[in-house]
Amino acid sequence: MASATETPPAPTEATSPAARVLKEALGGEVLKVEEFRGDLAITVVPSAWVRAATLLKTRPELDFKLFLDLCAVDHLDDEDRPKRFEVVLHVYSVSGKHHARLKVGVSEANPRLPTLTGVYRGANWFEREAWDLYGIVFERHPNLTRILTHHHFVGHPMRKDYPTAQRHVLPDPQTWLLKVPEGSEHLVVNIGPSHPAMHGTFRVQALMDGETIVDAAAEIGYMHRNFEKMAEVRTYWQIIPYTDRLNYCSSFMNGHGWALAVEKLMGIHAPPRAEAVRVILSEFSRIMDHFVCIGTNIVDLGAITPFFYLFRVREEIYDLLEACCGARLTVSYVRIGGLAQDVPEDFADRCRRLIDSVRKYTDETDRLVTRNTIFARRFKDVGTMPAEEALDWGWVGPCLRGSGVAYDIRKDHPYSGYEQYDFDVPVGTVGDCYDRYLVRLEEIRQSLRIIEQAVAKLPGGPIIVDDKKVALPPKEQVYSNIEALMNHFKLVYEGILAPPGEVYGYTEAANGELGYYIVSDGRKFPRRLKVRPPCFNIYQAYPEMIKGGLLADAVAIIGGLNVIAGELDR
Amino acid sequence: MAGIEIPHFCWHPDLPVDGNCRMCLVEIEKMPKLQIACNTVVSDGMVVRTTSEKAVQAHRTTLEFLLVNHPIDCPVCDQAGECYLQDQYMEHGLHDSKIQPEEKVRKRKVVDLGPIMLDAERCVLCSRCLRFEANVTGTNSFEFVNRGDHMQISTFENRPITHNYAGNLADVCPVGALLSHDFRFKMRVWFLEATDSVCPGCSTGCNIFIDHRDGEAQRLRPRRNVEVNKSWMCDIGRKEYKEIALDTRVTAARVRGTSGWEGASVPTALDTLADRLREAGTASAFLATPQATNEDLFAFRTLAEKVGGMLDFRVGDPQDKVRVLEDSVLLRADRNPNTQGCLDQGLGRTGVKEILAACAAGKVGALVLQGPELLRSAEALDALGRVPFVAVMATREEPLLDRAHLVLPAAMWAEVDGTFTNYQRRVQRIRRAFAAPGSATPRWQMAAGVSTRLGTPLPAATARDVFALLARAVPDYAGLDFKTVGAGGRGLPAGPEQIATQEARA
Amino acid sequence: MAAKVVTVNRDTKPGIYPVLIGMAITFKNMLQTMFGHGAATIQFPEEKRKTSGRYRGIHILTQRLDGTPKCVACYMCATACPAECIYIEAGERPEATIEKYPTRFEIDLLRCVYCGFCVDACPEEAIFMSRENDLVGTSRAEMIIDRDRLMERAKLVEYGPGYRPTDHDVRRPVRIAALERLKHEHGIVPGPPSR
Repeated sequence: MASATETPPAPTEATSPAARVLKEALGGEVLKVEEFRGDLAITVVPSAWVRAATLLKTRPELDFKLFLDLCAVDHLDDEDRPKRFEVVLHVYSVSGKHHARLKVGVSEANPRLPTLTGVYRGANWFEREAWDLYGIVFERHPNLTRILTHHHFVGHPMRKDYPTAQRHVLPDPQTWLLKVPEGSEHLVVNIGPSHPAMHGTFRVQALMDGETIVDAAAEIGYMHRNFEKMAEVRTYWQIIPYTDRLNYCSSFMNGHGWALAVEKLMGIHAPPRAEAVRVILSEFSRIMDHFVCIGTNIVDLGAITPFFYLFRVREEIYDLLEACCGARLTVSYVRIGGLAQDVPEDFADRCRRLIDSVRKYTDETDRLVTRNTIFARRFKDVGTMPAEEALDWGWVGPCLRGSGVAYDIRKDHPYSGYEQYDFDVPVGTVGDCYDRYLVRLEEIRQSLRIIEQAVAKLPGGPIIVDDKKVALPPKEQVYSNIEALMNHFKLVYEGILAPPGEVYGYTEAANGELGYYIVSDGRKFPRRLKVRPPCFNIYQAYPEMIKGGLLADAVAIIGGLNVIAGELDR
Repeated sequence: MAGIEIPHFCWHPDLPVDGNCRMCLVEIEKMPKLQIACNTVVSDGMVVRTTSEKAVQAHRTTLEFLLVNHPIDCPVCDQAGECYLQDQYMEHGLHDSKIQPEEKVRKRKVVDLGPIMLDAERCVLCSRCLRFEANVTGTNSFEFVNRGDHMQISTFENRPITHNYAGNLADVCPVGALLSHDFRFKMRVWFLEATDSVCPGCSTGCNIFIDHRDGEAQRLRPRRNVEVNKSWMCDIGRKEYKEIALDTRVTAARVRGTSGWEGASVPTALDTLADRLREAGTASAFLATPQATNEDLFAFRTLAEKVGGMLDFRVGDPQDKVRVLEDSVLLRADRNPNTQGCLDQGLGRTGVKEILAACAAGKVGALVLQGPELLRSAEALDALGRVPFVAVMATREEPLLDRAHLVLPAAMWAEVDGTFTNYQRRVQRIRRAFAAPGSATPRWQMAAGVSTRLGTPLPAATARDVFALLARAVPDYAGLDFKTVGAGGRGLPAGPEQIATQEARA
Repeated sequence: MAAKVVTVNRDTKPGIYPVLIGMAITFKNMLQTMFGHGAATIQFPEEKRKTSGRYRGIHILTQRLDGTPKCVACYMCATACPAECIYIEAGERPEATIEKYPTRFEIDLLRCVYCGFCVDACPEEAIFMSRENDLVGTSRAEMIIDRDRLMERAKLVEYGPGYRPTDHDVRRPVRIAALERLKHEHGIVPGPPSR
């Protein structure tokens, strides 16, 4: 997955600076260092958890400042493990260009662990999620309450022995999210969850002093479908339609990321033609997602016209996707090892016409909006997020690049052949809404560049890997000989059998680093799938960002963050 | 054993070696040609390679030859999901086919042999069925006919299989040539979940798997236990799963009121039973059933001892038949799974005749039946008529239950955790596969409920706890718990009855 | 590729002139829509959007020449379905070469996510999807489509066939080297015996 020329090679126990530093500093408290498919995982004892994370963040030679993900894994039936649960931390170093995974075992009898919110601000909601879904108590967490399930829910649903047929009725909503001071004359306003400005179902409760927001608290989980638990009873192939429904505005990219993560786990590579088509469709999906973000953001400010222009172009992109795979929104086009079927014959022509169309409407929107005074004054210096803080929250993607950090996985850890294409990475300077808008607009233009190059270079060849344990055999073979029929049967009812191990597969989705942390135990279902949703970290910072600003600014900010509920709540 | 898998078709752990499939070829150092692993004796210093280039190629070639005439039947073949060809193709084959479907030799399909179906095209000529018929049942029903490409498996004149072990033919066949007629087209096996258990059909206690989906048992399959049943079970036992999901299960308790039966919840019914037992005191009788698990029997015995009534279980004298073999293979004359358990716990005390005499004389105020056997015996009819209160724990509705005054819904063997003791005095675990219907409750739980109401609760919350109490109370069971009994069961020291039988045989 | 980073230009000089440009754009678009047939919308339901031959709409069960379903109730589609919306019960067919057919085949069209995995999984070319996408009903029970409704061919004529196996290109070249060698070197093409 990594290009040989620019990125450092996969770290081993000997070469990884994280492993070396932690072993020197903590000695015997580092229990083991495991390597699998180029990912290094360092397990420490619980008493060293916070110190290890602090070392990773603060040591200048490590500099793991970007907080990515914190999740729990339930190893209930695994007799080799002394402790039932495991808590896993993923962090990234922008300067060193490498990831780190830190793990700690947590026992069932005493599921407690110290909180990491003092080290990384972004750990707050992730720890709440681990408490909600697994029952792991994080000591000294500022607000350890349920986040994805409702407040009348009983039990921890992601545990393997949770009785799934149970229902928990919610008789009344959680009226108060904030602590309103006694005798206060401030007004409490619920923004959302059913509000057109909230693009998706999430809620913020704001304590208002006139038009200024004094305090804010967020509530999410309205679209929580516990996809990760479904993934534990579905084969790798069957999970593909579920991934479509994460960031549904750019569904192909989620599937692309999933296929790459499973291919990393299996140690296989899709053929060049499949990778090129994946790049083209991913970039079109990125354009679609940016259109949604820009369009709806501007609508909130009152400018409805660009919304129609941009959505019209989205229709044309939908037509392209429909010609390829038969569906517009939830495409399910990827397969592990390639794509479901080859693109239609007029694919290259359609792409070229689409590029012209996208360019035309993007330029029109640009001319309508960017230099408009009202727009500039609504966006400039509103919702400023400095780079250091953004990294601590775990911001990625256009939001992070708007704050000035040039982290783009397509450049730093190229995949699917991105190293062949010539494109720029736009970054902002101040990190306000205007920067994020300009970055997205420029990214659309860069995506068009990539698509042009990819279409020009589109190689021939097979569209899926030639591996009988991964790809379904061609139908002519299935109808006519027993070997292919048996192969087909085994792949359908047993699926792809990934080797035991764990990987973290990551791609640059429209919102930033979309990661899939897969723990496999060699059977047909994954033992654990954790989706690292970019908007989860981004939305976590939102209540802090809007404090002290006007309500109108809060609306302007939320549109530019591009929070999609499907990805936020999973 | 060492975790290394050698592909094979014709080898079976409980059948004599044949060596005809040539799939288990392995490379042995110092031997120029590949040798079949099933028939090569191990010697000191031997180095065996199962995954070398030559061995891998041999496996693939053998598989290719086996598939030359194999029909394209996977969609209609029930073996899919447990087919040796499918599994071994993915592990050892993965070759492209060189055969057109028109070239394949056509043989007989859909031949109805009674309890099993034969499809001669799918047969890989491994002769497992042949060796089973020759060695296990002694019936020799199968033979190979024709030669070369056209060689087929057949019975004489396609006559059906008439012995009681036909289901095992479907089990031993590695492909879909012999398939169970009862299970035909019912369910795909990958939807099924397997739970370890023991067959309740007779006192042999063959180890089985209950294959179930969504709370319904779909079939029973033997589980290999070298001490008890090897890899076999009889067809009568296989049909036991049909008894579980009958619409005629007793799913709720009922009490005889002034105008007929009235439904009641299980706790209310237990209240009524406790009241009547308190009234009757020692003028009561308890009849256990050898269909119950050891835990059920122990809770029942404790209740009977507390109340001080008469206690026995020997309706129909099962203790005389418990070790009697009815055929030459597995089936025993005693069709109860736990007669030995009753004997071990000393439940044969007062004597059934004495109890009936006391009933007829009007000396019994309350009669508690753990199973409906007594209700079925004609001689007991009069005596029962004289008892003012008869309570019965039943699983199946039958008109005979109208002879009782209180019916409690009992959970069946597939719905409870517990143990049976078979004729060899081997304690074997059964596991709960799915929930009992309605409010059917395990028998030990109901007996414990009555004990609680009478003031001496049984200190046990689960079947595991009851077994722990049993282990302390019955000397031969000392030191046992569910974990030590384990998946394969645990033999108790031979009792005087076993020694007598062994001496008689010798 | 070295990461070529460009910083976005914030100095966009907003003012009154860009507003005029904007109004020019909107007016141009309005005229195009009204007179230049540049409208993005169509008059549904009189006009319908054209869908491709790969469209994943409501399913169809194919038939043999005698009108019986091609489906042999192999359960591949029910196994592959990620939404668990296909319910099948199998029965016996008298023909020894076919043996099995579905006595019940029901798809809960409301649970279905129209992913097309059932079509991918079918080894008998028995199920594919049409271009029909307007699913209307007044009760949930009505939307559980059974075998006979699935086999109605009339719908195919109106909507056209969509996602189906014959559309797939061969995804990898089928190499049977032994057969090719046999042909080139010996001129033999294996077939059924002539006897």
